[in-house]
Amino acid sequence: MEEFFQQLTNGLAVGGIYALIALGYTMVYGVLKLINFAHGDLFTIGAYLGFTLFTAFGLSGMVAGPGAVVLVLLMVVGLVALIGFLLERVAYRPLRSSSRLSAVVSALGASIFFQNAVMLIYGAKFQVYPNDIRPSYVLSIMGIDVPLVRIMMIAASLALMLALYWFTQRTRIGAAIRATAIDQGAAKLMGIDVNRVISLVFMIGPALGGVAGVMVGLYYGQVDFTMGWVYGLKAFTAAILGGIGNIPGAMVGGLLLGVIEALGSAYISIAWKDAIAFLVLILILIIRPTGLLGERVADKI
Amino acid sequence: MTVSRTTSYAGIAVVVAVLPLLLDPYWTDVFVSIGLYSVLALSLNIILGQAGLFHMGHAAFYAVGAYVTAIANTMWGVPVLWAMPFAGLAAALFAMLVARPIIHLRGDYLLIVTIGIVEIVRIALINNVFGLTGGANGIFGISRPTLFGFKIAKPVHFYYLVWAYVACSVLLFRRLENSRFGRALNYIKEDDTAAEGSGVNTASYKLWAFVLGAFWAGMTGTIYAAKMTIISPESFSFWESVVLFAIVILGGGSNRGVLLGAFLLIGLPEFFREFASARMLAFGLAMVVMMIFRPQGMLPPMPRFYKLPERIRCVTGKDGGAAAAQVGGEA
Amino acid sequence: MKHVIKALTLALAASLLMAATAFAAPVKIGLMCPLTGKWASEGQDMRNIVTLLADELNKAGGINGNKVELVVEDDGGDPRTAALAAQKLTTSGVIAAIGTYGSAVTEASQSIYDEAGVVQIATGSTAVRLTEKGLKRFLRTAPRDDEQGMVAAKLIKAKGYKAVALLHDNSSYAKGLADETKALLDKAGTKIVFYDALTPGERDYTAILTKLKAANPDIIFCTGYYPEVGMLLRQKMEMKWNVPMMGGDAANHADLVKISGKEAAKGYFFLSPPGPQDLDAPAAKSMLTAYKAKYNGVPGSVWSVLAGDAFNVIVEAVKSTGKADSAAIADYLKTKLKNYPGFTGQISFNEKGDRVGDLYRVYEVNANGEFILQP
Repeated sequence: MEEFFQQLTNGLAVGGIYALIALGYTMVYGVLKLINFAHGDLFTIGAYLGFTLFTAFGLSGMVAGPGAVVLVLLMVVGLVALIGFLLERVAYRPLRSSSRLSAVVSALGASIFFQNAVMLIYGAKFQVYPNDIRPSYVLSIMGIDVPLVRIMMIAASLALMLALYWFTQRTRIGAAIRATAIDQGAAKLMGIDVNRVISLVFMIGPALGGVAGVMVGLYYGQVDFTMGWVYGLKAFTAAILGGIGNIPGAMVGGLLLGVIEALGSAYISIAWKDAIAFLVLILILIIRPTGLLGERVADKI
Repeated sequence: MTVSRTTSYAGIAVVVAVLPLLLDPYWTDVFVSIGLYSVLALSLNIILGQAGLFHMGHAAFYAVGAYVTAIANTMWGVPVLWAMPFAGLAAALFAMLVARPIIHLRGDYLLIVTIGIVEIVRIALINNVFGLTGGANGIFGISRPTLFGFKIAKPVHFYYLVWAYVACSVLLFRRLENSRFGRALNYIKEDDTAAEGSGVNTASYKLWAFVLGAFWAGMTGTIYAAKMTIISPESFSFWESVVLFAIVILGGGSNRGVLLGAFLLIGLPEFFREFASARMLAFGLAMVVMMIFRPQGMLPPMPRFYKLPERIRCVTGKDGGAAAAQVGGEA
Repeated sequence: MKHVIKALTLALAASLLMAATAFAAPVKIGLMCPLTGKWASEGQDMRNIVTLLADELNKAGGINGNKVELVVEDDGGDPRTAALAAQKLTTSGVIAAIGTYGSAVTEASQSIYDEAGVVQIATGSTAVRLTEKGLKRFLRTAPRDDEQGMVAAKLIKAKGYKAVALLHDNSSYAKGLADETKALLDKAGTKIVFYDALTPGERDYTAILTKLKAANPDIIFCTGYYPEVGMLLRQKMEMKWNVPMMGGDAANHADLVKISGKEAAKGYFFLSPPGPQDLDAPAAKSMLTAYKAKYNGVPGSVWSVLAGDAFNVIVEAVKSTGKADSAAIADYLKTKLKNYPGFTGQISFNEKGDRVGDLYRVYEVNANGEFILQP
């Protein structure tokens, strides 16, 4: 039983990261119906920018303190948001009125471009975050070991998700985003500047991915230029699992995917872990064709 | 088919036929790759381009074909080209099994499920499923194919084999496009619900699109296995499916477009070899730029015209051979 | 009949090549390495070392007065790109090709070099079967997996571990090593309490470690590559689990300790040919100094240094035989070259093309995160 709960916490920690990245997919999808395959690479860029900032400021040790971490996070948010904004302007806006699949191919091209740009700038080697920024304290609750930094990570992911949910549901801008998601034409007629809303979404989504990148860097230490591909695919799976376009869905999907992976490796097979996760996804979609929390979309006739 | 079209096709055929005389073995090999991807992309085009089903897992079917060939050849000594129909059938059967439960999924949900299938296949191959696939090592020592007693081994031999196969595929898929089946798929792509309403059994047609595409991809797997003489799971990764997907969309969904797409996406990185480490950077950028300048793809299908039977032409009152009606085509 | 045709085509190709090289002054040597993709850092190190050596050689007047021209092609770390890269090299008229890193990638290129009659010297490919095919012109400067498996099993026995956990990453190389070790341990009666594969490229391996812990091994032998091993060590320490861990030569990379942190890596030991920093040959020391001066760093692993060795033996063969001819080079390397003073110790090859000699050493990581060669 102890092992079960240990695996559950392992899964939740991984799932929290998936969820955070999945939010970016889901938001962009919500307004543009576009699968932004470059999203995983924005996550990588966030991780690398965090690395550059931490080492540039010579931040190390607990002297740096939580304030410095927050400062770096804010700067990464700003920079990745800017890249996201530019990405939409350059690679997606010209394709907005064409077939959705054209934009998908453009996204794949952007993904290859970013991945290789990171490799050329930082080199193909792994980069390693300064090791002593994060607290190394490990909590022991009833025989289950949970590093403090894990709890902080899950808490931070949850806080960001709740903030985002509040933002989209309770603010005027959030309402504009939702209106754009439902019907761009109608939103335009209501006086919403659709282009600005889309730009905003393309800043928020990637920024969340960037934050996830810094968190992965801080916690796991190691960043490399291909990491976005692995995490991106997982996060996309999570977003679909929860019902793409749906913010609580991304949270549920991410956490669930993490838990399925952990329990799958624990009780079935590690080598088959990803296959198990995809199998569960397929089964869920067969039963609920639009994901766990996705709404059944009526056919346009 | 108009005369000019026939001549242009003949012209292309002549160019393809004499090309290897001008190429060194390296570029011949690049064109063999282009040919293989062309056929694969043509077979994906039935599913993605004609029926409009978001399918990003085509490498799974291709893998089934290649592995069936490799197993049949190395374990039971079946000559490689003899294994071709069986490879196709195995892939088709596999497609029928996996596509059936997911055929009702829409758009992006279907996309992730097909990605899931290709990943499951790859993981199964790596884990040496049924003890037949050789795990991560894959299967090696696949013998070279022989055709009428002639051993096909050199790049230039494969060049003619592959491009003859491309030509067959193009002719076949052209027929298919204009058949009742092809038109039904186009209808489904344009408007699924209206098609259903007009009495088209959409689920069945979609499933057959998958089966047919998989059959052709499986047969292509045979040629791939024969060409490489070693196959391993990493040759059938999700990335391969992504490349095929991009070829079809970039090409625009017509058969000519698909060939052009294969040439651009498989040939281009080879032109960029001079850039060494930066070649994939240039490639990614080229993909974005091409999409922006041709959002509908390089060569989208042209609107199709059908000659109407004589008596209808009399009713419409127009004269001469110029009278034509557009049926079910897209602009 | 088949053999006759094959021999004839080989002879034809060889004579064509000879004709080509007799008039062209520069000696063309190919290098096939992963400049992009997952193993790009290895490939870039390989290119750096070989370029450095070629430049130095040309400055010193080349081979018997002929300059060396290096042709570098990217294999992307995947079989299909490798096949094209090999095709490109063979058509550009190289007499020999160096590379490449991964075994599966090397294998995809073997038949192309063989059919073109070009000598191939693999540098990081340790899979056993590569040299078991009877290819006349294939050699490698890397040791073989079965040798490593033997050393690993011996080491586990010598250290007195009773319950062994084996973890690989399902790559051709790591699985081969794990299987080899497993077979030997099974025969020796050592209990294997855990055998499974992780997914490379991920960050979080706590689920695997939790499962491993439940199996309660004396030692974990992870045969995978350094990025995953580094993460395992780090997360193992975070769990406050003190079981010893060992690895194979894919763990021998300077980044291992950077990833895991010094504290977590302390006491970790692995098998490997001697790494760049422990090469005591004077040639290696001067090469590393030159490398540092030119590229401002040291090669990440021994595998790229093995590419340098491959380059040097090719040059040596051309010098000694006096002609830039593939058949002569292959013959010279397999039969005549004895105890050539390479960067990684003395180099000789056997008839199969495998490197002769016991290359494996045991390394342990000390408290400062340095790899210490064990006596």
